[in-house]
Amino acid sequence: MASVKYVSASRIYAKEAPPAVDALDLDIRDGEFMVLVGPSGSGKTTALRMLAGLEPLDGGRIEIGDRDVSGTHPKDRDIAMVFQNYALYPQKTVAENMGFALKMQGVHKDERNRRVREAARLLDLDDQLLDRKPRALSGGQRQRVAMGRAIVREPKVFLMDEPLSNLDAKLRVQTRSQIAELQRRLGITTVYVTHDQVEAMTMGNRVAVLNQGQLQQCATPRELYDNPVNQFVAGFIGSPAMNLRTVPLADGGVRLAGGVLPLPTAVLTGARQAGLSEIVVGIRPEHLHLANGSGELAGEVILVEDLGADALLHVRLAEGGDQVVARTEGRKPLAPEQHVTFHVAPDDVFVFHPETGARLAG
Amino acid sequence: MTVIEDLAPPPKVEIRPSGVSRRDRWLTRLPLLPALIYVVVVTQIPFLVTLWYSFQSYFWNTPEPARFNGLDNYKAVFTNPAFRGALVRSVVMTATAVIVAMILGVAFAVLLDRKFVGRSVVRTLIITPFLVMPAAAALVWAGPMLDPNFGLINYLLEPFGVHHVAWLSVHALGSVILVMIWQWTPFMTLIVLAGLQSQPPDTLEAAKVDGAGALATFRELTMPHLRPYIELGILLGSIYLVNVFDAVRLMTNGGPGTSTTNIPFYLYQQVNNAFDIGGAAAAGVVTVILTIIVATFALRMFARVFQFEEAQG
Amino acid sequence: MTAVSAPAQPRRLREMSGQVGWAVLAWVVGIAFFLPVLWMVITAFKPESAAETWPPQFVFTPTLSQFRLVFSGMGPFLTHSVVATIGSTILVLLLAVPGAYALSVHPVRRWRDGLFFFISTKMLPIVAAIGPLYVIALHAHLLDSLWLLIILYTAMNLPLAIWMIRSFMLEVPSELLEAAQLDGAGRMREITSVIMPIISPGLVSTALICVIFAWNELFLAINLTVTNAATMPMFLISSVPQEGLYIAHLSAAATVASIPVIIVGWIAQRSLVRGLAMGAIK
Repeated sequence: MASVKYVSASRIYAKEAPPAVDALDLDIRDGEFMVLVGPSGSGKTTALRMLAGLEPLDGGRIEIGDRDVSGTHPKDRDIAMVFQNYALYPQKTVAENMGFALKMQGVHKDERNRRVREAARLLDLDDQLLDRKPRALSGGQRQRVAMGRAIVREPKVFLMDEPLSNLDAKLRVQTRSQIAELQRRLGITTVYVTHDQVEAMTMGNRVAVLNQGQLQQCATPRELYDNPVNQFVAGFIGSPAMNLRTVPLADGGVRLAGGVLPLPTAVLTGARQAGLSEIVVGIRPEHLHLANGSGELAGEVILVEDLGADALLHVRLAEGGDQVVARTEGRKPLAPEQHVTFHVAPDDVFVFHPETGARLAG
Repeated sequence: MTVIEDLAPPPKVEIRPSGVSRRDRWLTRLPLLPALIYVVVVTQIPFLVTLWYSFQSYFWNTPEPARFNGLDNYKAVFTNPAFRGALVRSVVMTATAVIVAMILGVAFAVLLDRKFVGRSVVRTLIITPFLVMPAAAALVWAGPMLDPNFGLINYLLEPFGVHHVAWLSVHALGSVILVMIWQWTPFMTLIVLAGLQSQPPDTLEAAKVDGAGALATFRELTMPHLRPYIELGILLGSIYLVNVFDAVRLMTNGGPGTSTTNIPFYLYQQVNNAFDIGGAAAAGVVTVILTIIVATFALRMFARVFQFEEAQG
Repeated sequence: MTAVSAPAQPRRLREMSGQVGWAVLAWVVGIAFFLPVLWMVITAFKPESAAETWPPQFVFTPTLSQFRLVFSGMGPFLTHSVVATIGSTILVLLLAVPGAYALSVHPVRRWRDGLFFFISTKMLPIVAAIGPLYVIALHAHLLDSLWLLIILYTAMNLPLAIWMIRSFMLEVPSELLEAAQLDGAGRMREITSVIMPIISPGLVSTALICVIFAWNELFLAINLTVTNAATMPMFLISSVPQEGLYIAHLSAAATVASIPVIIVGWIAQRSLVRGLAMGAIK
């Protein structure tokens, strides 16, 4: 068990191209479950592989438990990794797969068997599976073997590269909670990479959002949701995504949907001082409340997605034709072509700089 | 993968089979017939003729026509030390060449599997011996390379205390085997290389993370993965190497004495020098039977090579 | 841009020196293996007086006289080789493609037996039947004829070609075949429009291997031909006289005889590699 630190770590593939990972600074506490999340190409997998020692560093350093491991071979870093496609050894049995690392360490056969059985039990892997080869297992079973291979080692850090992406939806949800529970029980520092923000929000103690090699924000899920530090984070976290529109400033607020959406004075002053005539406003679908005719924002329903407990309304706003998505209770049946108005609390309106995307808090 | 074919066995009761399925079956067989008939005619007819002649006494250097002589030819084959000797030598030559070529093949494949400056050039250089005409290879090795008086090998080995060795006299068998190895190592290399390159890279990374060094990874992961490739190489290589003729004929002409005479050369001598068609035929049949026996054993061992995956349909 | 930090360096240095060592080893092996071919070509440019010397000469005045001799004599042999090689390769492909099709995509019921039969013909040494083959050829008036060579070379290469083409056909995604069937494609259309385009690189490697084996074949040629169908390997043998100096001339003949296949093999290297691996092992 140890802490992990990225200190200005960089990975550059081609001199002319932007870095795959750009001077990443990240402090991961001992025993923490840290999720690296971001779209494809964000550098999250590269950052993980740098921690594993499978990618070299072109700048900065990486520390595991206060020890600089930047030049250390993967096998000497005391880490274990779960690969996206599991990377199980095809010609070895499940038991041999799980015990491989211990065999490399010279652990005695009996001790190896004991630890393999223990890990198998922890993961609900039947004894009879231990003698099978990976090709005879289902996807879910293979995933658990991959996890078992990592657990058996009792390493300082767990690394997981999108371990759930090859499972079907239902299994994914189930396994998600199992992994989180397992990590809590074992208490091993875990760095987990995913592109799925739902996984990130539900599993991580803290979540680091990356985009194009750069760290956008690292905070608890709650903090990311309530206080995104820029437009990217605001739009990435939360499902369905936050509605984001570029709108012109007006007296007391911004012009939107034929009316003026009021904003706090501090924000408006800040925006005017920055010389802006337009800003980006963001409102989460769940913060657009149906108001019977008295809301600030008016529009016409285009599509209703009935999810059962909720419904998602796709609404074309008056004057301008922008579309937004609003989340409402499922019980209030609405239909396309109906006219609706929305009310939104001023605190629920996020404001961003139209060019830098930084949050304008005023 | 569905197999579209008529799976039902023919009914015992006399029911007229539906036109479609019968036609379908023949339609499926049709594409195979040309190749099948061709091979049967061109290979089995000569074999049947060989079989027939093996029971005849038939010599070309006499005007007498072929005369039935029962099993006399076969008796001659089994009592003939020359045939037995050729058999032993065939086994020795083939086994040595195949094994050494495969060992070198694995080594060279490992060498070529990593990126380095000029890798494709080196691969081209290593492939070339396989492309050289075997007759040319035999003559070039016999002359410019191994000749005691002007051969390159003697020149290169001089600093090591080797002086004008007459390789084809003193180490005849070794020289022939050397040329066989030289020509077939590229074949083994390429097969093993294909195997190395088909290894999923993430399992190799997983081994790295699991603490396996290069040697351990090779032993525990790569070799098991390479097994079917190695078996294929050994099987195919043996099939071709057991029939090697050019090197024997052109380097040593079977000699000195009979020290490099293998089965193909022995049979050639029977036909061309002894004009003994009947005897050659009997020896040929015995060879075929022995080959079948060995092949059956080999196939049982190498069952994996014939990965009869379910065909597509 | 931040510079490479100090702790990363020792590992990078070790990796780099490993790289250099590996490259050196690989190059030594490559050159050593290629040396006989190189020596053959070098010797081909020597006058005979410089070819059988001690020590062997590396510096000499190159001459084309050996090649001139070779070119003047090889005409008919070359033609025969070209005809026999290309003829048999074309015939092989014509027979092997439908044959492989019947053993892979729409297999006959006993495809395992069929495949095994073809392979088995390669396991039985042709040398065993050479006497009777001669007699048959004699009676069929095919002795010393190119047709005989074409027929025999086809039989020689057909099993391997069927095995290779079959494995390439097996790699055609079944979805493509199913889509074609849904589109109403009959079997002919299936072969020509769907399968052939996909396996065409595989056909090239198969043809290549057939060309290599047919061009280089000696045993059948030497036993069954005299002049009318004598091929390049026989030309090569004829360049070894009973007496007199001949090493340089021999090297020139060997070079010329081998060059076509070597060049073709070099150019289509990737194809060759793929073919040899044959995708037969999944």
